[in-house]
Amino acid sequence: MKPESAIQTGFAEVKHSQADGQSGAPHAGTALEVKDLRAGYAGREILKGISFSVAADDFFAIIGPSGAGKSTLIRCVNRLVEPTSGAVIINGRDILQVSQSELRGVRRNIGMIFQEFNLIERLSVIDNVLTGRLGYTGTVRSLFRMYTKDDIKHALMLLDRVGLSEHVDKRADRLSGGQRQRVGIARALIQNPKLLLVDEPTSSLDPKISREVMGLIKEIGLEFGIPILCNIHDVELACEFCTRVIGLQDGMKKFEGSPRELDKAALQDIYSMEVL
Amino acid sequence: MDARVAQVAVWRRRTRATRYTAYFAVAVAVAWSIEAIVIADTDWSRIFTGTLLQTLRGFVDLDFSILPALVQPTIETVLMATLATLAGLVLAIPVAWLGASNITPLGSFSYGIGRTLMTLSRSVHEIVWALIFVSAVGLGALAGVLAMAVRSVGFISKTIAEAIEDVDPKPIEAMRAVGGTKFQILLFGILPQITPVFIGNMIFEWDINIRRSTIMGLVGAGGLGLALFRQMAMSNYGGIATVVLVVLALIILAEIFSYYARRAVI
Repeated sequence: MKPESAIQTGFAEVKHSQADGQSGAPHAGTALEVKDLRAGYAGREILKGISFSVAADDFFAIIGPSGAGKSTLIRCVNRLVEPTSGAVIINGRDILQVSQSELRGVRRNIGMIFQEFNLIERLSVIDNVLTGRLGYTGTVRSLFRMYTKDDIKHALMLLDRVGLSEHVDKRADRLSGGQRQRVGIARALIQNPKLLLVDEPTSSLDPKISREVMGLIKEIGLEFGIPILCNIHDVELACEFCTRVIGLQDGMKKFEGSPRELDKAALQDIYSMEVL
Repeated sequence: MDARVAQVAVWRRRTRATRYTAYFAVAVAVAWSIEAIVIADTDWSRIFTGTLLQTLRGFVDLDFSILPALVQPTIETVLMATLATLAGLVLAIPVAWLGASNITPLGSFSYGIGRTLMTLSRSVHEIVWALIFVSAVGLGALAGVLAMAVRSVGFISKTIAEAIEDVDPKPIEAMRAVGGTKFQILLFGILPQITPVFIGNMIFEWDINIRRSTIMGLVGAGGLGLALFRQMAMSNYGGIATVVLVVLALIILAEIFSYYARRAVI
């Protein structure tokens, strides 16, 4: 477990370990298609028929006021929230139709980055990153945290990539907010995801760190060829980093277009909830 | 108006009568208790003929000659407490799993089973558990270990279950999102969060089990209690006092150890 050697040889190993998971077919056009998605809790409908599709090279932003359903929408894509109807098509397959046991296989191909990082505070940075491999790790191996050598090399390489090579053995609760989000990013990447879900990555961070984290997520999407679906309430950041934007209001899609098309009128339309 | 005054007067007379009846009943009960328990049941001849002072003097006259014979029971006491705490922990984990409302597998059915087991373990005294296990597995330390293990389950599983009910749901969400199994979610989403409570309470329970294991011997379940019982059987008052002092020293040491151990862990 020597970090230096792992970083030098890391890349070849990563290529190797990327072969596991689903068949490595190249992304063809659409990475994710959401059709007429509806979801609700306790009789209240939160998503009222949302449709959109994310291209393989998209950094796709969802904007909208608080309570518009952004968080619910993104959680429907990996079924952390169960939608009531509609379709979520990834790789030509409607993941709302898969069984609970298959769902695990679907989820391990979808990385997720959280608003409040959702790290395991008392574990070390590298152990947190390695939890991203749980979907590929058997129960007994995970009980003793016996990850493969390839996984450990991969984790060290990713920590190097997100700029945390100094902090590998520190406990997660000793890092700053920006550093913690970088651990979250590395944890998502070690899954070798075919899609990255990002839920308000910058809400717990200050403006300067927010810009750095958004930049890192964008770079990583391009570098590893992963399409990204990102909730973000900060319109300015969305326009600066994202390639496509939809605007939600009260569970309905109010806008879809490129950041350039998102003019004042469109914004007013999305954020007019207060008038209602 | 007059009718109402009369009514109040009747009512007051009646409540006064009830009150005095109650006083009288309490006084009778107290008098009867004193007569039955203290006056009739005490060997007054012993108290007034000077044997009382003689016996007390016997206790003060410590018998250090039995100290070498106490080394082995002392070690046995510590080992019994340690083993019982570990065994109690193993038994407490499934009970906590059943009795934590947020992760219990079969809803209120298994939750009820978990909570009942916790109450059962705690509501039966350790001496009673020891008597049960002595008759089950015979005299000796094993019966004491089993009794204390079963008695420990209640406290350990209750505190673990409460810690589980209090966990932060965010790491759990992350472990679901990476495709973890239910077991992996428990292992990584919940276990690291409850580790401090878990270890802290285990050390605390070990401390309590040291106390318990010093009396297990009184019912034949091994440890220092057995030495105490032997000295009592021989009416060696100095020996009894010596054993009690050793117990006291052991408990103080255990308390100091557990204080520093808990500080180091949390």
